Amino acid sequence: MFGLLPLSTMMGFKMMVSASPSPRSPEITEKTKKYDRQLRLWGDHGQSRLEKSHVCLINSSATGTEILKSLVLPGVGSFTIVDGYKVTQEDIGINFFLDQDSLGKSRAEYTTKLLLELNTDVNGEAIEEHPEMLLKQNPNFFNHFSVVIGCQLDEKTLVTISQVLWESQVPFVYVNCIGFLGWVRVQVNELAIIESHPDSTIQDLRLDVPFPELIAYMDALTINSREVAQKTPWLVLLFKAIQKFSTPSTGDSMDTTGCHPCHMKSQEKQEFKKYLKQYLCEVGLKDTDEEFDEVVKAANSALSPSMINSNVQALLDDPKSTKPEKTKFWVMCGALREFVANNGQLPVRGVLPDMMADSDRYINLQSVYREKASKDAEDILGRSQQLLKQAGLQGLTIVEEDVKLFCKECQNLRLIRGYPMYEEINSVPVEILQELAQNTEDSDQEMMYYLLLRGLLRFQGDYHTYPGLLDRDVEPDINRFKGTFTKLLNDWNATISAKEDCIHELCRYGACELPSVAAFIGGCAAQEVIKIITKQYVPLDNTFIYNAMQSTSSSFKMTRANS
Amino acid sequence: MASDVKGLLPADLGQLVNECNVLVVGAGGIGCELLKNLVVFGLKNVHIIDLDTIEVSNLNRQFLFRREHVGRPKSIVAKESALLFNPKVCITAYHDSITESKFDVNFYKQFNVVLNALDNRTARSHVNRMCLAAKIPLVESGTAGYKGNVSFHMQGISECYDCTTKPHQKTFPGCTIRNTPSEPIHCIVWAKHLFNQLFGISDPDEDVSPDSSDPEAVGDAGKIALEESNDTNGQVKEKVSTRQWAQSHEYDAQKLFQKLFHDDIKYLLSMENLWQKRKPPTPLDWNDLPDVIAGSSSIDQQTVTALKDQRVWSMQECSQVFKQSINQLKEKLENEKDLIWDKDDDPAMDFVTACSNVRAHVFGIQQKSRFDTKSMAGNIIPAIASTNAIVAGLIVTMACKVLKKDYYKCNTIFVMPRPTAVKKDLFPLDQIVGPNPKCYVCAEKPEIIVKMDLEKMTVRILGDKVLKTELCMIAPDVEIDDGQGTILISSEEGETDDIADKLLKNFIKDGTRLKCDDFLQNYQINITVAAMVDEEDEKDREKSGILFEIIGDRTQLNAKEQVAEGKKTDDQEQPSTSKKANPVHDDEDDLMIIEPTTVSEVQVAGTKRRLDETEEDTPSKKRKVESETSEVIDID
Repeated sequence: MFGLLPLSTMMGFKMMVSASPSPRSPEITEKTKKYDRQLRLWGDHGQSRLEKSHVCLINSSATGTEILKSLVLPGVGSFTIVDGYKVTQEDIGINFFLDQDSLGKSRAEYTTKLLLELNTDVNGEAIEEHPEMLLKQNPNFFNHFSVVIGCQLDEKTLVTISQVLWESQVPFVYVNCIGFLGWVRVQVNELAIIESHPDSTIQDLRLDVPFPELIAYMDALTINSREVAQKTPWLVLLFKAIQKFSTPSTGDSMDTTGCHPCHMKSQEKQEFKKYLKQYLCEVGLKDTDEEFDEVVKAANSALSPSMINSNVQALLDDPKSTKPEKTKFWVMCGALREFVANNGQLPVRGVLPDMMADSDRYINLQSVYREKASKDAEDILGRSQQLLKQAGLQGLTIVEEDVKLFCKECQNLRLIRGYPMYEEINSVPVEILQELAQNTEDSDQEMMYYLLLRGLLRFQGDYHTYPGLLDRDVEPDINRFKGTFTKLLNDWNATISAKEDCIHELCRYGACELPSVAAFIGGCAAQEVIKIITKQYVPLDNTFIYNAMQSTSSSFKMTRANS
Repeated sequence: MASDVKGLLPADLGQLVNECNVLVVGAGGIGCELLKNLVVFGLKNVHIIDLDTIEVSNLNRQFLFRREHVGRPKSIVAKESALLFNPKVCITAYHDSITESKFDVNFYKQFNVVLNALDNRTARSHVNRMCLAAKIPLVESGTAGYKGNVSFHMQGISECYDCTTKPHQKTFPGCTIRNTPSEPIHCIVWAKHLFNQLFGISDPDEDVSPDSSDPEAVGDAGKIALEESNDTNGQVKEKVSTRQWAQSHEYDAQKLFQKLFHDDIKYLLSMENLWQKRKPPTPLDWNDLPDVIAGSSSIDQQTVTALKDQRVWSMQECSQVFKQSINQLKEKLENEKDLIWDKDDDPAMDFVTACSNVRAHVFGIQQKSRFDTKSMAGNIIPAIASTNAIVAGLIVTMACKVLKKDYYKCNTIFVMPRPTAVKKDLFPLDQIVGPNPKCYVCAEKPEIIVKMDLEKMTVRILGDKVLKTELCMIAPDVEIDDGQGTILISSEEGETDDIADKLLKNFIKDGTRLKCDDFLQNYQINITVAAMVDEEDEKDREKSGILFEIIGDRTQLNAKEQVAEGKKTDDQEQPSTSKKANPVHDDEDDLMIIEPTTVSEVQVAGTKRRLDETEEDTPSKKRKVESETSEVIDID
């Protein structure tokens, strides 16, 4: 039996904590095995989100097919291809999945069939229709998708789709590959990321603001011999050293500043470290002991202030935290806001780094942090539920599990607020023009290419074709394109102009997708879709331009101009 | 095919694409994507080689493979699948190891460019040398999770793969594994060794029993304990292999458990010196297992939602899994001579998880879930289709530049997950990096100094650990540079077997020069032996127990000595007494990523003048190459 069982069903097994492990059900084994290498990236909850998602691709071009391939393989729930075109000879030439038999057949149907062969867990459907027609029949057609991906869209369709999706709050990934250029644009109304997977997480030890339970625990411990000191976790030794250091009454303290070691500048920290070594000798450790080194080494990263970073502060200050809207995220942010107002600190994470110590002592210390984390999470849960009640947000439930993850990750919360593409297309790219006017060097080539890509969209709108499209003389097209582009720049009151060779290259490739560019951009777009669906890692915000000639890329954020 | 689409490719590139012959090394994650790109790009001649067969865990990204292909050779199936889409391409598939001698310099010379899609350092290094010898450009690549990299290597123009030091496979000293584990990974390595000792091909380097020769355990305590146990059991531990012992007890789980986690631990405890500064282990009794989990912070035990796979097991559960997996493995052993440990084989993985966790508990080390244990034991690198697609796209873009001989545009590229501070998603180096003149591979006359413990190292260790593992040679020949051409190691089977297990001190001394040669790789390197002799070294070694140390040239030797004179650096690996280190084998997917930390050290690439210089070639390298009919592309 092959794993057709959805992951949500598998959850049932989680509770089975039997003493004698019965042989695992083959469905689980098969599926976890198949997805093993990606579960290590986004976990089973990320996988579950992926498997529940339904993605729509408009136009199964070579790039579009590449994107879906990279979503079907890891097990996206289902996909729909909307494509009104028939397979052309050119499609066969550049799309690996199309063979000679497909010529003249529905591109949607043919690519769907081949993509489905890649993963039997995935469902897929083909709709042979142009997106505008679909919208005419059913204006809500796109509303139920998790993400919509658009390829080979003309300017008018792009504007329509972008607006429809913005209004229905469906994330939209726009992809355009022309010759050696690639353009990826992510449009999300608002995306809250709880698990942003930062490269490093700051330890949450609260040495500078110890909570009462921690102080009580520490005070109850006495370290009176080398043997005891060796079995004691470094955190305890460090805590006690700080305590002694900060209490001048003991007589031997060198502290004169009154500043807590966590808040010291590096030079002052050296002073404290000297004291720490002295303290460790006092409690009986020798400077040759492994434990001695461990405390001193650990102090480097442990001595950091407990604080709220600017990303999280912005969330707390957001009007949506004050008056939560009907999403779990904002209700929990509201609860967090109240919690911070009351306690001055974020909830305790409850995760300790590994330490060399006697197991019992380590576990005891760990449970002090864990219990506090639990208590804080409970507090947030209570506040969340209170907020739900007050706001009359029936139908939304927040459970312990939600709050626990939220609290554990509350240092790393991220929010992306989007800018709709239909507005971008209808307005002057002021910031890009300013940037380019100030910076004439090649370093901003990708921004120039962004403008040229906008010019291509306009050209396509005017002439219903791309410059230099196959089997035609390129020269007249180059002139026509120059005309379009110059007019566009004039409309924008721009003082810059594009380089001749850029325009020539652009026109020479016509509207063709190069396979290597399609592979690259397909992979990039698929990654963004996965990030949006799994709500893990921080997605592109919001524009990415790739130049295959130079193998360079740039990402920047298009925003609503102030003027 | 793109080359068929009129006007898509510039005419010159179109022709090159049509006529070129390309070798793809590896048909895994990157290999599948790459083959697709090449086929659709319109290449007419592609050779692809891979030793592996298809596994279930490949299917989430290696899209040329399906469920029904599991167990079949990757290269063959990749070819079949690709031909379904484009029957006009000529694909030659080899289900073989790229290090086989039939893939000699001649073989490489038929290609215009070699594209690596490999997963391990040895093979990458080998292909690098073959390309240097054949003067064929090489495009190297790798991915890990959302990250990836692509680089270009060409003799005389850019750095070679070995020009920068690669992160070494982490190794652990034998005595840490056998006597004094302090981290979860030590217990996991021990458990994997135990598996091989019990069910697989036993390697004497992978002994799992307490090591009484641990220099830290000076004193007679250990010996006394050993003698006592001889008295009572009437058997000499050293002489009965772990497997024989297990067989004599019919793989009785309880008896094995008792020996491994009770008797052996008691024996370790008798080596009192070991525990003066360490927390002593606590022997476990099968009939009295605690139901607690030793200090673990990575798993939140309160989260009941964790899958069994992702939850830390109690000692009770461990013992049950221990018993069950041993029974399953024992059954398997009835049909097979030796079992090979495989992280994707459930009983094997269960066994290692249970054993490593029990050992961790005994030593008060943090326990790990089966999921995490698998990551560490299998050295698993996360892998997804999209990153492989990105990298494979970049490889083809770079390969086109190589075909057009635009070598100086082939800058190394790093694919990074979007960092907040920097806006670039790709990090191309500004220039290609020229060869490292001190490179131990591509320098004109490679020279290194190796510090060796001549008193403890055997000829075999020199061959296996220094030349093969560290220097990535496949079949080394070693001659002592004593004017008489004394052969120390021969690549001919059996020729130097009689001296393989003799100590090096019988043959060489401080300052001896060894001429090492790998005929297939057309690679020669001179090693100058630096004996570990002086008092300081002796003392240091007692503690660190390192058998050898590879040092670049003279200047580095001096630098190292200065460090050694000071105190040992903080992050230095601890102990190792017995025998040698135990590598954690990197046997999965596509990566050896080089973070762009060396960017600041970038050297400006060679100029045209320099290029001409290298064209002349070194006489020593010509010897084996000159007779070949040359399909080598002209560097000019």
